[in-house]
Amino acid sequence: MALDFSLTDEQKQLQQLARRFAREQVAPVAKENDEQARVPWELVEQLYEIGLLNISVPEAAGGLGLGLVEEVIIGEELGWADMGFYTIPMASELGITPILLAGSEEQQKRFLGPLTERPSLASFALSEPGNGSDAAALRTRAVRDGDHYVISGTKMWISNAKEADFNVVFATLNPEMRHKGVIAIVVENDREGVSFNKIHGKMGQRAAPTYEIIYDDVRVPAENLLGDEQSGFKIAMLTLDKTRIPVAAGSVGVARRALDEAAKYALEREAFGRPIADFQAIQFKLANMKIGLETARIYTLYAAWLADRGDPAHISASAVAKAYASEIAFEAANEAIQTLGGYGYVNDFPVEKLLRDVKLNQIYEGTNEIQRIIIARDILRALK
Amino acid sequence: MKYVAIIRQVPDGESKIKVEGGQVDLSGTTMILDQMDEYAVEEIIRLKEQHDGEAVVVAFGPERTEEAMRTALAMGADRGVLITAAGYVDPITQAAALAKVLAEEAPDVVFTGGQQADWDSQALGSATAEALGWPVITWTTAFELEDGKAKATHDLDEGAEVVRVELPAVFTAQQGLNEPRYPTLPGIMKAKKKEIKKIDAAELGVGGSKVEIVEQQIMELERKVKIIDGTKEPAAAAAELIKLLHEEAKVL
Repeated sequence: MALDFSLTDEQKQLQQLARRFAREQVAPVAKENDEQARVPWELVEQLYEIGLLNISVPEAAGGLGLGLVEEVIIGEELGWADMGFYTIPMASELGITPILLAGSEEQQKRFLGPLTERPSLASFALSEPGNGSDAAALRTRAVRDGDHYVISGTKMWISNAKEADFNVVFATLNPEMRHKGVIAIVVENDREGVSFNKIHGKMGQRAAPTYEIIYDDVRVPAENLLGDEQSGFKIAMLTLDKTRIPVAAGSVGVARRALDEAAKYALEREAFGRPIADFQAIQFKLANMKIGLETARIYTLYAAWLADRGDPAHISASAVAKAYASEIAFEAANEAIQTLGGYGYVNDFPVEKLLRDVKLNQIYEGTNEIQRIIIARDILRALK
Repeated sequence: MKYVAIIRQVPDGESKIKVEGGQVDLSGTTMILDQMDEYAVEEIIRLKEQHDGEAVVVAFGPERTEEAMRTALAMGADRGVLITAAGYVDPITQAAALAKVLAEEAPDVVFTGGQQADWDSQALGSATAEALGWPVITWTTAFELEDGKAKATHDLDEGAEVVRVELPAVFTAQQGLNEPRYPTLPGIMKAKKKEIKKIDAAELGVGGSKVEIVEQQIMELERKVKIIDGTKEPAAAAAELIKLLHEEAKVL
């Protein structure tokens, strides 16, 4: 009898709050922010005011100390309204997570405490111009110099980056040591030698800011090192094992929006003298969207539940959730466009944006190909 | 001082409502704090923030009303009193029960929504005031405390008036009074520890309903499209369009 799919009363209220905020504040400005590639900082401020920003910061550091189940509940609602906007708080949680996993209590208070005191963001800097999936091949250098590390190199495709207080930077003490040479270190954005270039021309998720970061001999105190000098790569992987679950949650939100828009349109639009919802061709599309949505939602919650319990099964489950949810969401957005026909192809209707936005969910925080490698390794390891 | 908001839980205007066997079936409907009551809750929280004292929410309704009460507590109210009764109960009977609780709570100011979203009734605030023998100011758009009295602006059909009223008194709230805040996540977590006292309506000597709902129907709205031919006499067509926008659509 232990199996129980119900949310607690507080989780239901959280869902109601996030849904209302998404519907009333985020959705109405999503098109404009997309068109103008504008970062809606006022929405970040509002998110902070209602307590939905940086929710995983522990109580000891002044936060709420909530888990991934709560993040997933919020992620679906914000993803429904604007996946691009949701990437901002999501990427902040991505920057917080390595500090949760490997930061001392003092580091958690120092770095995470301020995130609860005003609208502010964290950020995670792993990818580089020449490496993404092969994370251990990173080239950003860290050189120990007394009680400091000197960081130099370039990070690429970093969400939030400049808008954040700090980046958790992955750098190598010795590239020949591959993953064993990697450190994770918190680099505040106001340190000398840190500069940013905004990345323009994104296909979707245009409300979310994405940057290239250049570290030019940036001196960072050793007290900013997370874990020890061997643990950086492990910290990165342990982080992504958790944070790809919110990517799945945002995808579920996109899939729900696609179904909402397609079903509404199908009932209103007439062809051959009756609503197109009467035709099986359309009904099958709606049913397929529903099948994907329901299965992705419940599996994403399951992965979050495993992670919150500290069950190592979440490593594979989070990869399944991320790959699956982003794929059914892409398909749902695609079918929603097909259902709306020509109207689906122009931005007077919100469905073409769903497809442009959710394409990124198949790429960031580990491409879906990398997710499959994680899943396959888990299958094979169990047999060896 | 003590401030009370009388609240109700009603169907979310965005969700679908079914009628089964001549009665509204709310089983699959999202229920929310009445948006008119949000103004009332916001006002008592502001009063508490400005003048100290206690902000209490009071409700009459089925057990599930507790959810709406938790929303009000998550916005910042201190505690709740819920008079429980199943099924439809008319506002006069509700007011009789609410008046008993309010007489005991002895607040200085009572706010409630000007109109109840589910029955479109405007009776609850006035009926409660009458049962208590307290003055009532309806459709309040501005409110302040002044030397132990209240100064309030309320709408009339063709304008507004400013009144000074002795306390305790009942005020009904509406759009314009304030901008209700969202509940917050920390507020939601704190709200679960706040007290909600439940009282069975029968314990207050209030039972049944003076009005029984025999049958309910949902109004079918048809989209009205009126096409004015502007090809022959454009000036007359424009005049007709302006007249329709003014008199029928009431947007001008």
